[in-house]
Amino acid sequence: MTRWFEDIVLGEEFALGDHMFSQDEIIAFATLYDPQYFHIDPEAAQLSHFGGIVASGWHTVSIGHRLMVDALFAEEDRLRALGQEPGVSGPSPGVNSMDFKVPVRPGDTVRYTLVVTDKRPSNSIPGWGLLFNTITAVNQRDELVYRAELVGFSKRRDYVMPLSLKLMQALSKSPVIGKWIKRGS
Amino acid sequence: MTNTVTADRRHFEDLAVGEVITLGHTKVTREMIIGFAKQFDPFPFHLDEAAAKASLLGGLASSGWQTGALSLRMLVDSFLSTVASAGGLGFRNLKWKNPVMVDDTIGGTVTIVELRRSESHPQWGIVTLDFDVRNQKNAPVLTMRLANLVDTRNPGAQP
Repeated sequence: MTRWFEDIVLGEEFALGDHMFSQDEIIAFATLYDPQYFHIDPEAAQLSHFGGIVASGWHTVSIGHRLMVDALFAEEDRLRALGQEPGVSGPSPGVNSMDFKVPVRPGDTVRYTLVVTDKRPSNSIPGWGLLFNTITAVNQRDELVYRAELVGFSKRRDYVMPLSLKLMQALSKSPVIGKWIKRGS
Repeated sequence: MTNTVTADRRHFEDLAVGEVITLGHTKVTREMIIGFAKQFDPFPFHLDEAAAKASLLGGLASSGWQTGALSLRMLVDSFLSTVASAGGLGFRNLKWKNPVMVDDTIGGTVTIVELRRSESHPQWGIVTLDFDVRNQKNAPVLTMRLANLVDTRNPGAQP
């Protein structure tokens, strides 16, 4: 979240918005990243158990990510408009689980929602906190398309680096001593 | 109706635990990184060199979702398009181990770690696959455990 780690409220729901999947974009994405016949060939897809073309799960998820990034930027603007300094989000270390449920067909509209379910300071990266996010995606019939549990980084506003760590970081930049410090960490 | 697309491909019964699939290689260019990021992950650290240097990534790197999508593409080419795949169920424990930087080449292996018949849908088996994707320096970039459905040749057989 583009809020400081300390300001993130657990359980708060963020509507990320929705997206309509056209057949053209389903085929365009899958041609590059997931060219299985039921994602790229409308005729052959009829022979599959789907009975027609469906979006690659990775496509549905990538759109969900895009909508999340847009929502983070919007939240940043909202905080600035209130005269506050927004927080900083970092790259994600991973995804705990991703479960694909009903397929997305051409013309379907998928709606995405994010909830932060837990958070804790990072052990490995000083000054940052870990966020545990759940994203759910549902179609226009309110059927679950996917549910994901993702991990994200958010900067800690109140973090003060201990002197010993500052010293270690400075020493790790030295070519000789740094090698030994990195080996030990 | 016979599925003429997959009839001659390997089915669930033809797969074995321990089979190692060798992925091809993909060189990840600046154009690819910026192209994907513009569409799906427009954080400044995936679009702009200076912003990337100042971030946790330390330089222009691909979106983790792009690394995953390219890994999936390599699996489709080397495995999923050769079996009677019936779609993905999802994945567990995806970890982005190291960022993929401009002009890195990724490749690696995928291992079949589990095979089980679906109890609710006897026409399918579930194949569980462990990804180990690495860069040209053999440093790990992505690991995950993915589950995919594969048609059984003989749905009437005992699970």
